[in-house]
Amino acid sequence: MSEVLTMDAPSASEAAAPAPVLEARALSKRYGDVEAVAGLDLRVGPSEIYCLLGPNGAGKTTTIHLFLGFIEPTGGSVHVTGLDVAAEPLESKRRLAYIPEQVMLYRNLSGLENLEYFAALGGRGSLAPQRLTDILVGAGLPPAAVRRRVSEYSKGMRQKVGVAIAIAKEADALLLDEPTSGLDPQASNEFSELLASLRDRGVAVLMATHDLFRAKESGTRVGIMRHGRLVTELSTDEIGHADLERIYLEHMHE
Amino acid sequence: MTLRTVLRNERRLLAADPALRIALAVFAVLFVYALVNGMAWERFQERTVEAARTGNAERTRALEQELAAIEAGGRPSSPFSDPRAPNVLGGARGAHTAALEPGPLTALAVGQSDLLPYYYDVSIYTNESSFQQNGEVENPLNLMVGRFDLAFVTVYLLPLLVLALSFNVLSEEREQGTLALTLSQPVSARDVVSAKLAFRALLVVGLAAGVSLLGILATGGASFGRVLLWCGTVILYALFWFALAAWVNSLRRSSAWNATVLVGAWLVLVVVLPAAINIAAGLLHPLPSRVEMITAQREASNDAVNRRSELLARYLEDHPEMASGVVADEPGLGALAWAATDAVNGRLEEVTAVHDARRAEQLALVRRYRFLSPALLAQEVLIDAAGTGDARFARFQSQVRTFADEWRQFFVPAILADERMNAGILPDVPTFRFVDEEPGDVARRTAVPLLFLGGLVVLMSVGAGVGLGRVRGAN
Repeated sequence: MSEVLTMDAPSASEAAAPAPVLEARALSKRYGDVEAVAGLDLRVGPSEIYCLLGPNGAGKTTTIHLFLGFIEPTGGSVHVTGLDVAAEPLESKRRLAYIPEQVMLYRNLSGLENLEYFAALGGRGSLAPQRLTDILVGAGLPPAAVRRRVSEYSKGMRQKVGVAIAIAKEADALLLDEPTSGLDPQASNEFSELLASLRDRGVAVLMATHDLFRAKESGTRVGIMRHGRLVTELSTDEIGHADLERIYLEHMHE
Repeated sequence: MTLRTVLRNERRLLAADPALRIALAVFAVLFVYALVNGMAWERFQERTVEAARTGNAERTRALEQELAAIEAGGRPSSPFSDPRAPNVLGGARGAHTAALEPGPLTALAVGQSDLLPYYYDVSIYTNESSFQQNGEVENPLNLMVGRFDLAFVTVYLLPLLVLALSFNVLSEEREQGTLALTLSQPVSARDVVSAKLAFRALLVVGLAAGVSLLGILATGGASFGRVLLWCGTVILYALFWFALAAWVNSLRRSSAWNATVLVGAWLVLVVVLPAAINIAAGLLHPLPSRVEMITAQREASNDAVNRRSELLARYLEDHPEMASGVVADEPGLGALAWAATDAVNGRLEEVTAVHDARRAEQLALVRRYRFLSPALLAQEVLIDAAGTGDARFARFQSQVRTFADEWRQFFVPAILADERMNAGILPDVPTFRFVDEEPGDVARRTAVPLLFLGGLVVLMSVGAGVGLGRVRGAN
C-alpha cells in the first residue's frame, strides 16, 4: 500500500507550526428558519484526523459541503490551505479529496475506468493503467475486480474505488462523510489503517461520523456538533472509549 | 484537459450503453433509407425531364419531315392537323415541353418537387388554366411532410435523437450519484455538461452531415455554397435542440421532468405549431373553389364561341394593327378561333388572379408565423438549399409564362394573317431554357431564418450557461 501513497510529508518547520489545511471561520448556513451551521470555528492541521460527531441534523454533512463549495455559506468563510473557497472554488477543490457516504460511480464502466476518469478530472493527468491498478489494489479492491463493471460491485468495493480516487488525487485534505456506514468490521478496520497511512503522509482529514468507536480509534481529535455548533473538542489521546461515549451522551442530553 | 477527459469518458459510456447504440443505429438506418428514397425521386425527375427533352426533339423532327414531304408535293397526314397552319405548328402538334431540372440537392430534400409541376407543355393554347391544372390547392406545407427524405428525417426525427442523447445530461449524473464525485473535482458543472453535450453533438452532427455528404457525393452537381448552407443548417438545427436540452437540464429538475418537457417541446414546435399555422392559413385565407374556377372557364369558353364574330370585332378594335389582314365579315378561320381563345384567356386571368391573390395571402401568413417554429424555419432553408423550394418553382413558372408569351408572339400574328408555315421556320421557333437562380438569391432568402435560428441557439445557450453556472452541489 505504501508505494501508492506518494504525498509529500510536511517539512519539519511546517510540522512545528502547522498552518491549518482546513479552516472554518464563524461559518454559518441557514435554510429558512433552520440554522444548519451556526458560527462554526474549526481548524484541521496537516496529519490530523478530525472526527465530527453528532446526531443527524447536527450540521456535519453541511459543514463538509461548505468546504467543498457545494453550498454557499450565509455567514463566515471556509478556507482550504489558506484559499477562500468562495473566491477560488476550483483551486480549493484541487487540494481537496472527498469520499461521500455512498460512493456512486458509472455503473457501466469498470473500477479502473472510473478511477482513470475521476483522477484525470482531479487534475492528475493521465495515469498509466498499471499505476491506477496499483492504487485500486492498494485501496483494498480485489485485483480480479479492477476491470469488472461497477454494477457488479458491492457497496464496500465502491467505497474502495472512492478511496482510490481520493488517494490518486494526492490532495492536501480529505473530506469524508460517514465513510464506514454500512461497511463490515473488517472493511471498517482496513479503512482505519488507510486513514492512518494518509495521516502519516501529512494529509488533513475531516470526517463526519456516527461511529464513536471508529472516531476514537482513528481520529486525533473529535469535535461534537449539535444544532450547527461545535459543543466540545477533545483530543483522542486524552480520553478512553468509555469517556468519549459518556461525554457525547452528556452533550446530547443537555 | 477537462474536455478531453470528459470526451473519452463519454465515448466509454456510450460504448457500454446498448440503448444508445441501438438508437444511433436506428437513426443511421433511417438516414440512409431517406437518402435512398430521395435519390430515387431525383432519378425519376431526371428521367422525366430527359423524356421531355427527347419528346421535343422527336416532335420537331417529325414536323420537319412532314413539312419537307409536303413541300415535295406530299399531303398532310390529316387535313385537320396540317403542320403548315400556324395554329397547328404552334398548337398541340408542335408544343414544346418546358422542363425544370431537379434542384441541385433534390436527393437530400425532395421538398416541393413532388407536388409542384416541373414541366409544362407550352403551345399557343397555354393559358392560366395550364398553370393551375397541376397546382396543389391545399397548402403545400401540409403535404410536404409526405416524402421520407433527409430533410424530413432531419427536421422531424433528428430532434428526437438529440433529445434522447441529451435530456438527462446533467440530471442523470445527479440521479446516479456521480455528480457528487464529479463536482468535488476542480471542474465546473458547466464545463462538464458542455463537454458531454459536445461529444453527443459530434455524434449527431457527424451522422447527419455524414449521410448528407454521402448523398451529395453520390449525386454530384451541387455548388459549394448550397452544400455549406445545407450542412450549416443541419448543424444549427441540431444545436438548437441541444441548447434547449441544456437549458432544461440547467433548471435542475429530474430526468423524467426533463423528458416530459422536451418531448412536449418537440410535439409543439415540430408537430402542433406547423399544423396550426397551416390550418390558420386555410381558415383565414380560404382558396376560392377550384370547381368555380373551372366553371368560369367553361362559361367563358361557351360565351366566346357563341359570340365569336362579335368578339373578333372587339379584338380587332383592340388590335387595329391586325385589321388590315382580316376582312371583318369573312374572317380567317384561324384568326376567328384565336380571337375566341384570347377572350377565354382574358376571362381566365381574372378568375385565377383571385385564386393567386388568396394563395399569396396564405403563403404570406405561413411565412410570417414560421418564426414560431424552428422546424418550419429549418425546413424552409433546407429545401431552399436543395433547390426544391417554392422560390425556384415560382421562378420556373414565371420563366415558362414568359416563354409562353414568346411562343404566342411567334405564332399568333401568323394565325391572324392566315400565313402558311414551312420547314425553314422550325429553327426559329422559340425553345425554353431555364435560367437558374444565383447563389446570392438563395443566400438572401435564407439569411433571416438562419439568423433567427442562430439567435435562438445563442439565447438558449446563454440561458443554459447561466443556469449551469449556478450548479455547485449534487442536490
